[in-house]
Amino acid sequence: MLLDILRLSLRNIRHRGLRSWLTVIGILIGTAAVVALISVGQGLQRTIARRVEQIVGYNTILVTARGLNLGQRIRLDVEALRAIPGVKSAIAVRTETAYVEGPGGKGFLAVLGYDPAMAEFVTEMNLTVASGRALEAPGEVLLGSRTARVLGAEAGDTVRIEGRPFRVVGILQAQRAGGFATGGLSLLDLLVISLSELRQLFPGPELVHYAVVRLADRADMALVRERIRAHLSAVGERNAALTDFEDLTRNIQSVIRGVQAFLAGIAGIALLVGGVGVMNTMYTAVLERTREIGVLKAIGAKDSHVLLLFLFESGLMGLAGGALGLLTGLGVAWVATLVVSRVFEAQGAFAPALTAGLVFGSLLFAFAVGALSGLFPAIRAAKLPPVEALRYE
Amino acid sequence: MSAALVELQGVTKVYRLGEVEVPALRGVDLAVRPGDFLALMGPSGSGKSTLLHLLGLLDRPTAGRVLWEGADVTRLNGARLAELRGRRIGFVFQMFNLVPNLTALENVELPLVFLGVPWRERRQRARAVLERLGLGDRLRHRPNQLSGGQQQRVALARALVTDPALLLADEPTGNLDSATGREILALLAELNRQGRTIVLATHDPEAAAVAQARLRLRDGRIVEVA
Repeated sequence: MLLDILRLSLRNIRHRGLRSWLTVIGILIGTAAVVALISVGQGLQRTIARRVEQIVGYNTILVTARGLNLGQRIRLDVEALRAIPGVKSAIAVRTETAYVEGPGGKGFLAVLGYDPAMAEFVTEMNLTVASGRALEAPGEVLLGSRTARVLGAEAGDTVRIEGRPFRVVGILQAQRAGGFATGGLSLLDLLVISLSELRQLFPGPELVHYAVVRLADRADMALVRERIRAHLSAVGERNAALTDFEDLTRNIQSVIRGVQAFLAGIAGIALLVGGVGVMNTMYTAVLERTREIGVLKAIGAKDSHVLLLFLFESGLMGLAGGALGLLTGLGVAWVATLVVSRVFEAQGAFAPALTAGLVFGSLLFAFAVGALSGLFPAIRAAKLPPVEALRYE
Repeated sequence: MSAALVELQGVTKVYRLGEVEVPALRGVDLAVRPGDFLALMGPSGSGKSTLLHLLGLLDRPTAGRVLWEGADVTRLNGARLAELRGRRIGFVFQMFNLVPNLTALENVELPLVFLGVPWRERRQRARAVLERLGLGDRLRHRPNQLSGGQQQRVALARALVTDPALLLADEPTGNLDSATGREILALLAELNRQGRTIVLATHDPEAAAVAQARLRLRDGRIVEVA
């Protein structure tokens, strides 16, 4: 019997033709917006998780000032970190402000102490030189392109850092993504010398922007974290915080989820408007078919039959809108992803997510919106007194 | 005298139209016995339709009792009344009132759908009734592809498909030309001869003439029985 009523509902929807389609389109747009945003959001989450893993790695701990503030420096000794049992390797990024004199200019500039091990941890630390070559021997320096202009220096020249001469061997290539790896400074604005020479120039306490610690295989993360904390308090550093891959991913994911929920909420409003459209169509349908409702009741239809008849109609329209909206939304997400990837030249594949949860969730949700929007019209139809309905002109 | 199929005892019906109370029936006693063919006559507004609706359990009296096969049904809930209507009563209306987007066959099947009759049996019974009424070649037609007389015969088939104890017809010839109207009336008379209990509301004396008895209504009361 349910199936028969469902068939009747389907007939009625088809019978209304254009009006049914317009109603379905209302749900379609809402569903498409929600699906597109969620799909792109989930894809973004995945991509970022992958990138974080590439940059930081699973078995890695980041030591920074509280709040991941790379601009603020913390006190630590990277050699001591390396000596901790369970630590495979560690680097610390340190810059100092030095008085630098070049052939064509002078001033206080930031100098980065470079350790080739850094490249292993941080992609941006794979320094690429635009002209000249990389650091090879003591007494050599690489210049960021803006620094080179300030100093009026090029490869082959000599510059004096804190009075000590360094030979310029190369100019660094401008990098697209900059600042993160060097504690908020662009590589363009830096001088790069070897870490050991930086230490000789500035023998005071080691103040670093951040340190990255990689664990040995099967080392206990909690234990190593404990030991790093012990070292930090031994050197009197109270403002440092430890972040591992999971913390970082969790932070980033929660931000993305927040943004996504907000956007999906806005898209949900579109779906709500679609629901109002369904409600309007159904109220009109009840009004138009008042007499028919009376006849159905006269020939033995119960209130529940009439209720179901109209609920199925609105629910089916919701479902149809949901299915078409799902396809449209995925299409939109796909195009959006292509555009985003093109514009931001994002590295690695950035694909919209298509999960079973998204598919069934959106279909179920659209059906529910349709059915719920049709609930009040359906109740009105079911409650119509048969005699009044029959008399209706 | 056999027991009444449906009986009205002191039935009053008052409609409310906004602030105004309109009395449609003022104390009617009426018993319909199996095999009866009654015609309710009277000008419009005399209460014919209201009386028919009360006999058909479509409405409840303001005062008085409605007995269906001896049991008081005045206080039965809506679902029970709907079931009684579906099983025991058939309706034919002046406007035919077929569902426009269903075929003749589907329209006739409809009462059986609400009774939960399985598909195959439903189809068979609907087809049989339509064929008996001479519409065997119109099964797949929609109402707008049928003439008025054909539509009314489909409506009659829909009323008969449940084999109801009581057939109620509200001005069934009102929207038909006189020749077609006579055909429908002849059908009703034939059905009555086969034992069907029928109550017909009409203001057309020619239509009333086919009934066994005529009740004349005026201002909500039965004023004459002939």
